[in-house]
Amino acid sequence: MADDQICPKCGAPLPADVAPGHCPKCLMQVGFESQDQAVADPAEAPTAVSGHSGVTWDLDQLASLFPELEIIKQVGIGGMGVVYQARQKQLDRFVAVKLVRPDLCDDPTFSERFTREARAMARLSHPAIINVFDFGQREQFYFFIMEFVDGTNLRQLMQSEGLDATQALAVVPQICEALQYAHDEGIVHRDIKPENILVDTKGRIKIADFGLAKLINPEATDFTLTGAKQVMGTPHYMAPEQLERPLEVDHRADIYSLGVVIYEMLTGELPLGRFSSPSEKVQIDVRLDEVVLRALQKEPEKRYQQVSGIKTDIEAVSASPTGHSPRQSVVPPTVRQAFNNLQYPGYGLYCVVNC
Amino acid sequence: MDDAGFPSPHSGRFATTRWSIVQAAGVQATPNSRHALEELCATYWYPLYAYVRRRGYQADDAQDLTQSFVLSLLERNAVQRADPDRGRFRSFLLGSLNKFLSDETRKQGAQKRGGDRKILSINVDDVENRYQLEPTDDITPEAVFERRWALTVLDAALTRLQGDYERVGKLPLFEALRGHIGADKSTIPNREVAESLSMQEGAVKVAAHRLRQEYRDALRAEIAQTVTNSKELDDELTGLFQTLSGT
Ligand SMILES: [Zn+2]
Repeated sequence: MADDQICPKCGAPLPADVAPGHCPKCLMQVGFESQDQAVADPAEAPTAVSGHSGVTWDLDQLASLFPELEIIKQVGIGGMGVVYQARQKQLDRFVAVKLVRPDLCDDPTFSERFTREARAMARLSHPAIINVFDFGQREQFYFFIMEFVDGTNLRQLMQSEGLDATQALAVVPQICEALQYAHDEGIVHRDIKPENILVDTKGRIKIADFGLAKLINPEATDFTLTGAKQVMGTPHYMAPEQLERPLEVDHRADIYSLGVVIYEMLTGELPLGRFSSPSEKVQIDVRLDEVVLRALQKEPEKRYQQVSGIKTDIEAVSASPTGHSPRQSVVPPTVRQAFNNLQYPGYGLYCVVNC
Repeated sequence: MDDAGFPSPHSGRFATTRWSIVQAAGVQATPNSRHALEELCATYWYPLYAYVRRRGYQADDAQDLTQSFVLSLLERNAVQRADPDRGRFRSFLLGSLNKFLSDETRKQGAQKRGGDRKILSINVDDVENRYQLEPTDDITPEAVFERRWALTVLDAALTRLQGDYERVGKLPLFEALRGHIGADKSTIPNREVAESLSMQEGAVKVAAHRLRQEYRDALRAEIAQTVTNSKELDDELTGLFQTLSGT
């Protein structure tokens, strides 16, 4: 700080009676800032949490529900429920406690589905996938106790810093490895989006909420209903077939969603409407256009068939950053020509590739 | 959307902010509502004191008056007379204090009662020392009160965050970044902080961003304790900001 009498940001004189470096005006101004989009998104609005159930998420109440835990603070909130950081007293380690919104558990089949999906999640054991330590029900709350990740998520990273192409390309292979592992285990994530991709302080990827979307809404047939949208959050990352034929979704839906995430990381925008190829928006290797486009194909058969394919192609681009590929183009030229004809009406879910 | 809801992570808690508990209790004070009012008074004790001092009372008198004012609030459930249209705790408190001070009989009785019983453990020497640091410009008691209130809110939010960081063993990180919460991102010495804490520079950037978000939430939560709905929260935030911009 050049001058300790004047705030370097707003130019206001700093009062003598406040701590050094703390400009009261600038501090108060922080209160006007919007929250991270993860929370500010109306589909994820926390009113949905309390609105339906009337439950107050009171720390004291939680403490009595979970005597074995020291509940530390709320760290996240979304359409599905609330996440707290807690400490397991016995093991003296931090965990994340995720409480499912009680009103989502009304359905009589919920308990059985919860157990089935939670067991599937708990079977996954991979360094880039959040570990599920325990799950169950206490009073009206269904909960998961999970690995606590000290870090942030891709959404916050994009918002606070913006990611350059190199950084974006560095995280993609890690995501691919985790997804490939889960797919090999027969588990589809179904809700890949930046909020679910966590990054710890060492830069390691941790994917959260495997299969949780299926648990909450296995039918997921009607996205025009407000309730369903609240449950599922934003549909921008969902594969077209996920909305049209949700029961037939396979691992290739995750590949589509990952395509949206990569597009957004590279360009800062979602591939909506008549979207430009990434290299038209930012200066990056044109070979990345082909990778993204192939992941974003409307027909699952035309996408990468395995998520490991994205990893291979991205790593090839990273390994020869000269701008021209040592390999054959990964996407046929006809598909590439069709790039500018991609059209996504409405939520951007129906693209016309072969016109 | 639920009107009673509160569009922030503290949703669902509006029904339990301190001031709304106090107001909801009204005449029928409950242990909860009394506790809530006590906590509010403890947090905002100093702005009250500074106001009384600026009204011209000497330090000893001001301490007695402030204490007995708070005691009278707690004892008489004076909240029952709060004007529901003036929902904010801040305006209620200043209005009540003015009435208290202008009430000559109460003022005289206060001298004794102040010494009877310790209601809130306020370090009286500290507050006077603090008061001596107040700007001596020609500002009104009301302006002193408003400004002190705003600074108290900021302070309470920082203290709350500090506690959170301390509980998870990250006090050094908080200490390193607290001075930069309101600052431009570009001015944060990420590299130096990273080196001093053996963290990666990118991780420091993320941590600074998170701290700012958490401060934002803590600040709004702190203000929420003194109002009863989200519109009042926004109004109050705007008012406090104007207070700090004005001088
Ligand atoms: Zn400033």
